[in-house]
Amino acid sequence: MSRWRQWARLGALSLALTGCGREPAAPTPPLALRVESAGTETRLFLVAAPGWKINARLKPALEIPNGDVVRFDAARLTPDSAYFAEAPSAAIPGGSRAVSGTLRASVCAAGELVCRAVTMKVRVET
Amino acid sequence: MSRAMLVFAALATAASGVPRPAPAWRNPSWLNAEKPITLESQRGRVVLLNFWVFTCYNCTNTVPSLVDFDSKYRDQGLTLIGIHTPEFPPYSGEHDKGNVQRALERYHIRYPNAQDNDSKTWDLYGIRAWPSFVLIDKKGRIRYEGAGEFHVGDATYQLWESRIRELLAEQ
Repeated sequence: MSRWRQWARLGALSLALTGCGREPAAPTPPLALRVESAGTETRLFLVAAPGWKINARLKPALEIPNGDVVRFDAARLTPDSAYFAEAPSAAIPGGSRAVSGTLRASVCAAGELVCRAVTMKVRVET
Repeated sequence: MSRAMLVFAALATAASGVPRPAPAWRNPSWLNAEKPITLESQRGRVVLLNFWVFTCYNCTNTVPSLVDFDSKYRDQGLTLIGIHTPEFPPYSGEHDKGNVQRALERYHIRYPNAQDNDSKTWDLYGIRAWPSFVLIDKKGRIRYEGAGEFHVGDATYQLWESRIRELLAEQ
């Protein structure tokens, strides 16, 4: 992570919650995107809100309008290998300065013992 | 019936305590079954539906309890049915029948499983999370619903087991 310049471009990020998949829309999304840039490369980090975990068995995905699907991943998992122990990330393809699409993730709230699917429309400009 | 109406019906049932008829599923693709299993064919038996997906840790953690219920109560009139509903589109591999079959083998699941790749049965029952459970009585009525991981012998396991026994004891 240190090779990434630590300027999270949250101000340039537009993220709209369009519904939590199979769930009614939550008042606040359990996930946020953080953008970090280094040179010509831009990387997206998917950050879970406190009390939420991201399912590592079903890697989060960003579906881009051209049909490509970018999957998020991370090296560190929880001891049971079920969840990410650090924010999973994905590089914006082709060094693009802007990307939009549909973000999908499977998340679990602490103490609930269930998985929920989250779907969000996102647009990122760096 | 629209999903909104089904949700309303569920709420109304919960408020009144009157069991509502279980809707009939129409999944064409099954595993551990020679032909599609219908709700109608299960009249006279207690049916426990388990909405799950193999990528869900909470779901696979609960499977040993379901395998245990199947082993203990199938001969007494319980039909356990897995409704395998993917979370993601097909690129995730959750829709692939071979992947589901491998999951059944990995977790020693011998009870029937329907592929719910279009989520129609999920929507029909107004399910919201993985894993979820619907317990249907011998007359085809929904009597109990719930969600969340549990383990053999824990309090939630005992609760579901007591419900299964209660419905099996009914005429």
